[in-house]
Amino acid sequence: MAGNSKTIKVEYLARVEGEGALFIRYDDTEVHEVKLKIFEPPRFFEAFLRGRDYTEAPDITARICGICPVAYQMSALHAMENALDLVVTPELRTLRRLLYCGEWIESHMLHVSMLHAPDFLGYPNAVAMAKDHPEVVRQALEIKKAGNALVRMLGGREVHPINVRVGGFYRAPKSEQMDGLRDQLSTARDLAGQICRWAAKLPFPDNTQEIEYVSLVNPDEYPMNEGRIRSSRGLDISVEDYEKHFREEQVPHSTALHSVLVERGAYLVGPLARFNLNYPRLSPLVRQIADELNFKPPCNNPFKSIVVRCLEVLYAFDEALRIIDNYQPPAQPYLATEPQRASGCAATEAPRGLLYHRYEIDQRGKITHAKIVAPTSQNQKTIEHDLRQMLPKFMHLPESQLQGLCERAIRNYDPCISCSTHFLQLHLQHDQRGCS
Amino acid sequence: MTNEDVPELWLLISLGNRFRSDDGVGPFLLHRLRQSLDGSAEFLESGGDMVRLLGQWKDRRVCLLDAVLSNGKNVGNLIRANGLLEPLAPSLCNTSCHGFNLAEAVELGRTLQSLPRQLEIFAICAEDFICGHHLSAKVEKAALIAEQQIIALVQADNGGQQCTNNP
Repeated sequence: MAGNSKTIKVEYLARVEGEGALFIRYDDTEVHEVKLKIFEPPRFFEAFLRGRDYTEAPDITARICGICPVAYQMSALHAMENALDLVVTPELRTLRRLLYCGEWIESHMLHVSMLHAPDFLGYPNAVAMAKDHPEVVRQALEIKKAGNALVRMLGGREVHPINVRVGGFYRAPKSEQMDGLRDQLSTARDLAGQICRWAAKLPFPDNTQEIEYVSLVNPDEYPMNEGRIRSSRGLDISVEDYEKHFREEQVPHSTALHSVLVERGAYLVGPLARFNLNYPRLSPLVRQIADELNFKPPCNNPFKSIVVRCLEVLYAFDEALRIIDNYQPPAQPYLATEPQRASGCAATEAPRGLLYHRYEIDQRGKITHAKIVAPTSQNQKTIEHDLRQMLPKFMHLPESQLQGLCERAIRNYDPCISCSTHFLQLHLQHDQRGCS
Repeated sequence: MTNEDVPELWLLISLGNRFRSDDGVGPFLLHRLRQSLDGSAEFLESGGDMVRLLGQWKDRRVCLLDAVLSNGKNVGNLIRANGLLEPLAPSLCNTSCHGFNLAEAVELGRTLQSLPRQLEIFAICAEDFICGHHLSAKVEKAALIAEQQIIALVQADNGGQQCTNNP
């Protein structure tokens, strides 16, 4: 017999990007309904892309997000190059990896220090936290600044970079520009190590989840720009087969589509998935610190994603310095491309997880179809699943604490709601006159 | 006079999106001031990353230029505030909820000792934030008044207005 019915309503989720709310209906015995309500207006990016030139896709899709524009650029570039059968040189590929390092650093550090860390220490926001932990915030800002500098150097500017193009870059950086960043990155790498140690000591709620993790996997390196799509439950497919295995569904309470693994349901993309599926490919320094912290895969507690983000920041610095130390400017900043009727797809690892793009272009190079699946829409169902699983363990808490815990659980995923709401299927039903 | 005595140049920072009509009044003003004050000040068109502002404005004399939407004020009103002394009105602080707003940036700067030495805010009450490049007439008029006040502010530190006989 059910007990008294109760609801948790969070009218407006704070410290996430975009506009969303939460509705949970439960009673003393079970959770009946969980809805992560996304009411951010649809943004129609796929529609905007139709009719535009294939070369414009990286710059247009970069505008989907101010936090992770590089991810959109990278997926768009790779998808277009996949369509045109173009393989960039190893030097250009490495430069793209370097740019992605900058974005991971910027985005992860913003989330860790400004949005997520206050949750664990009982502060309403980072400003309040900084009063008691100024050194942590100062270090985090220095780390983020170094990531910004990397994106600025390669991308031309920090927000919505403008230097990438299909086939490569408009301009390749000079060796001295790389040299100029080395000290800053090296110092920031040391700080990132300290932040890892700090994050690992935060008090984490006990919330082990059984989740299917999905990420790119590349035999030789921690995944950023390419790889096969694998999961913790045995999925192993090429990116070309993504749409055979993953499906988007519309739900009434969200302007973002829910992605599911066909016949399996919810899954998780993002830092936890990358870490759990790619731990051996992290650099020796990162594995050494993870060892020291006794932080090994599989990590099944979403609250500990903050530690993984810190480790990924450390990795990004390590990888960036490795690339800079071996940098040889490419002979040409880009390879020329010619349009042709074609279709292509690609998936890269945005800070929040797998980001899939597919395009069709006509013989003049005009985009006739675009499909973009953002990480947050892939994680939405898992977020709801997580809340459903987590709540019974904490039902003894007063409602206000329970509500706070639910908000924290959502922030574990660093959802970028603005990113996820650029698609809406509109179904119009025209009732026949006289029909009831 | 030693180099140490020379006042550091003002840093003029615009906020706002130049493709969103009146929200572009900050970049519009910055563009005009760059023409009038080139060499007498430094200029920065900010993408709105308030966290980054902490590093950019630390220990500088800063003038922020922005558009605001304010219920209690008329379109074209010019709001001038000392950002370090006066509490910032909520209308001056609207930005992405993933990012930081201006009031939080000032507060965080205070905690982390990353504040500017001086923070003058020039905000113009705007009317139209739709996509476009055009300023509303009242907003443009206010921008020209703000421009004169900012020129006076900067030139006062550079020994006053230049002699007009020797352009």
